[in-house]
Amino acid sequence: MRRSIPAIAIAAILTLALAACGSSSSTTSTGSGSSGASGTVNGAGATFSAPIYMQWGSTLKGQGVTVNYQGVGSGAGIAQLQAGTVDFAGSDPPLAPADKALLKKGPVTQLPMALGAITVSYNLSGVKAGLKLDGATIADIFLKKITKWNDPAIAKLNPGITLPSTAITVVHRSDSSGTTKGFAQFLADFSPQWKSQVGVDKTLKWPTGTGAKGNDGVAAAIKQTPGAVGYVEQAYALQNNFTYASVKNSSGNYIAPTLDSTSAAADGITVPPDLGIVAINSPNPQAYPITSQTFVVMYTDLCKDGGMTSSNAKAMKAFVDYGLGDGQPVLKQLSYAALPSSVLTPAKAAAAKLTCNGTAIS
Amino acid sequence: MSTTPSSVALEPTGGRRRQTDRVMRVVLLVLTLVALVPLVLVIVKLLGSGLKALSWKFFTTDPTGSFLGDPGGIKSAILGTLEIIAVASAFSIPIGIGVALYLVEYGKAGRFASVVRYFVDVLTGVPSIVFGLFVYAALVVSKVGGSGFAGWKGALAVALLMLPVVTRSAEVVLLLVPDDLREAALALGAPRWKVVWRVVLPTAKPGLITGSLLAIARGAGETAPLLFTAAIVQGTTYNLNARMNSLPAQIFADVGQAQDRLVTRAWGAALTLVTMILILNIVARLYSRRSRLS
Amino acid sequence: MEAGALAPRGDSGALGLRGTSRGRLADPAFRWLLTILAALILALIVFFFVFLINKATPAISKFGVFGFTFGNDWDVSRNVFGAWPLLAGTIITSTVALVIGVPIAIATALYVSELCPVRLRAPLTMLLELLAAVPSVVYGLWGVFFLIPKLRAPSQWFADTFSFLPFVGGPVAGPNYFIAGLILAIMILPIVSAISREVISTVPAEIKEGSLALGATRWEMIRMAVLPYSRAGIVGATMLGLGRAVGETIAVTLVIGNSPKIGKQLFDQGYTLAAVIANEFGEAANNKLHSAALIAAGLVLFVLTLLINGIARYIVMRGDRLRNISPTEAEIGMPTAAPLMGTGLTK
Repeated sequence: MRRSIPAIAIAAILTLALAACGSSSSTTSTGSGSSGASGTVNGAGATFSAPIYMQWGSTLKGQGVTVNYQGVGSGAGIAQLQAGTVDFAGSDPPLAPADKALLKKGPVTQLPMALGAITVSYNLSGVKAGLKLDGATIADIFLKKITKWNDPAIAKLNPGITLPSTAITVVHRSDSSGTTKGFAQFLADFSPQWKSQVGVDKTLKWPTGTGAKGNDGVAAAIKQTPGAVGYVEQAYALQNNFTYASVKNSSGNYIAPTLDSTSAAADGITVPPDLGIVAINSPNPQAYPITSQTFVVMYTDLCKDGGMTSSNAKAMKAFVDYGLGDGQPVLKQLSYAALPSSVLTPAKAAAAKLTCNGTAIS
Repeated sequence: MSTTPSSVALEPTGGRRRQTDRVMRVVLLVLTLVALVPLVLVIVKLLGSGLKALSWKFFTTDPTGSFLGDPGGIKSAILGTLEIIAVASAFSIPIGIGVALYLVEYGKAGRFASVVRYFVDVLTGVPSIVFGLFVYAALVVSKVGGSGFAGWKGALAVALLMLPVVTRSAEVVLLLVPDDLREAALALGAPRWKVVWRVVLPTAKPGLITGSLLAIARGAGETAPLLFTAAIVQGTTYNLNARMNSLPAQIFADVGQAQDRLVTRAWGAALTLVTMILILNIVARLYSRRSRLS
Repeated sequence: MEAGALAPRGDSGALGLRGTSRGRLADPAFRWLLTILAALILALIVFFFVFLINKATPAISKFGVFGFTFGNDWDVSRNVFGAWPLLAGTIITSTVALVIGVPIAIATALYVSELCPVRLRAPLTMLLELLAAVPSVVYGLWGVFFLIPKLRAPSQWFADTFSFLPFVGGPVAGPNYFIAGLILAIMILPIVSAISREVISTVPAEIKEGSLALGATRWEMIRMAVLPYSRAGIVGATMLGLGRAVGETIAVTLVIGNSPKIGKQLFDQGYTLAAVIANEFGEAANNKLHSAALIAAGLVLFVLTLLINGIARYIVMRGDRLRNISPTEAEIGMPTAAPLMGTGLTK
């Protein structure tokens, strides 16, 4: 009897396990789909676009393509692509020369996928959405020069709104983030002090504030801390009913992040040959100034340089084709803006050039 | 007597000393209760926030990872934890007991044994994240075994963590086996290995099992070694050579989420994990109570 | 079980009996098998350290051992890695953990061993050990969603009221050193309490009864007889708890704020060595210097726990020698209590 107790316990656990796996299907799905491709694609990177890839992934699962995406930050995504532990990286900023130098196994393709708004979200009871802020003021908040919500600088931009005297808690990213880089780019354009003191990069030396991991972490921190302000992608802000600011763009208009103002940011931006677009501080007068683009980055020869099997390479092609095709209308539901045709057409052309061991993927 | 009570002249027994005694007794009692307060709070919070996540679907569906819609359950996390812990135990328990056997049976006074014992002890103090770091740098990046992140690599990191725990507890238990038993068996002509196999191990078995269960409970709760070895993935997989989910990793991923239903899932997963660990602890305790040695 | 009473262990022949011829082969084979196993494990452990030191070299050679450990600037974007803010954060949170946790742990040990009704001893012990069964990620979860919100207002009141004290004051945002220290205190409580209990239970009955016979009250007996006698062991227990606090990763990273500067107040955000590794390792593969710096941070952490555990063992051994307990038994008995904790298997 005494010897059988742990045996019984272990048997019980095993039985539970077997029951659990017996009751539903598991592992990579093998259903046939319209594309005929079936395989697994592993990606990691920006949390900015994580909602998109996860949503596209769950649609594609029914077609036999499994997409595993881990939101670890743009920097970590590129690192993992270089280490070969993922098939594609999600990255918000276009590839910098330093990134390209690291991905030296072969030529790399970056495909823009969507545009999204980086909101300046705040947790301030009694203050509704649409607080007007401009780049210089936001920079001063993040530089710790403005420490209370009822600071004259904020009050000046918002006559008629009673601001509480709550202390401002800044929330920023603790991981290497493309969202950070986009936000910092915006601040640097409007605040010379930000540009010289802190700079523009995926990881920054923040003068103040709490660090959280991922857009989701920043959202959680804002949600839990009264008086907090942070930069977070719009999908996360909407999902948590955040109040966010209307930000002044370079034409002088205070623009709230909406689908229209995010799409407007894409109009008129130049598309370089390597597709490395930047939508921050767009010249369009109706544009939301902190609009960011987001890419998927992969080796152009998925099999030879990317180390994928040919069936997984087909799955990857199916994924990007879906993303640039039927996936674009879905973006609206997630509060991202679709790519304008000036970007979409060259992107599709670049996707068609993905190869497996030198031959194009059907 | 090497330590004598300090020779302080005590005041005559009276109100003040008795009062101090009473006060201090209350203080100690209160502090003990204070120590238990977090336990109560954690359990209450676990039940309060976690129970509502539990359902049959919770245990039998994988996390979907979709931003909108159904977040899914934790099936892959539970199975991943079971798989990883099973592999980690298969590695660390036999080896740990083996090393303990060596230290007790053959190395009690030896120099080599002291060195081994010291190094195993050193291993006890290594923070769990350093094990993950080691396995990541040694195995994941160089893609040993044909894969980057893999379940078995996570299991290896956890095994390294469990090894010193198993070894030390096994050593204590084996030392408790009375020498008379060994001597008697040897006197009857049994060879050394038979004495170990037929006398020492069976006698120590309940204690060894207890120690192993406690080590397993410890390993099941660790997150840090798994973060960059087995990684986090949604789907259930039985392929140890691929990324594998686990309960601690899933909880860690869900904690930083702002969405309430993901946070609820984290609580449900936490409740599940704590229950599993508690069961292991209780079984271990029941076993030790019936041990012939205690 | 007397340690020296038997003939030397390795020699079954000295007992006068040789086994059968089969036993003659199997015995040495068995012994060699186990020896090789032990040697392999030793080799693995040595390799573990050598490998990590190797990987950390780029960072150490660039900044020097002292420059890395005490450099006050951890700036990933500029590729400057000085671990002092992290080390300071580790020290600060561990200190808070000790200040809060150790007195309570000793109090519980004293209560359970000396004052509590005998029937309650086992259940109380079990409850205290359940604290250790909760995984650190669950403590982190609880810290984020229960402790931080509930303590925000009281902490702010404390910061405002006692702002004349050094390190107290400033706005209380959410995660901070204090919460991290508090959670660490809860996590080290079981270890410190269990080992203290073991130590206190070894106080010879004569000493305790002697003081009681002289008319001491229970508290006086504790103060004059039990505590001085167990002082070394309790210090050892404290250091083991400290070792655990220093290495804790997951619970801390969720509640400390992840800010790589040294906060000026108790309620500021900070960072620790362990937390930085967990947070930054994902992106460091890109950057050889960064990953080397993180591994070096892991080594600093490890050296710190090594030092602490070494001091703990030394103090305990010295205390044991004063009480005439053989070193081996003490050596084995004390740290093992940590994993076993009151299962009745120790001593």
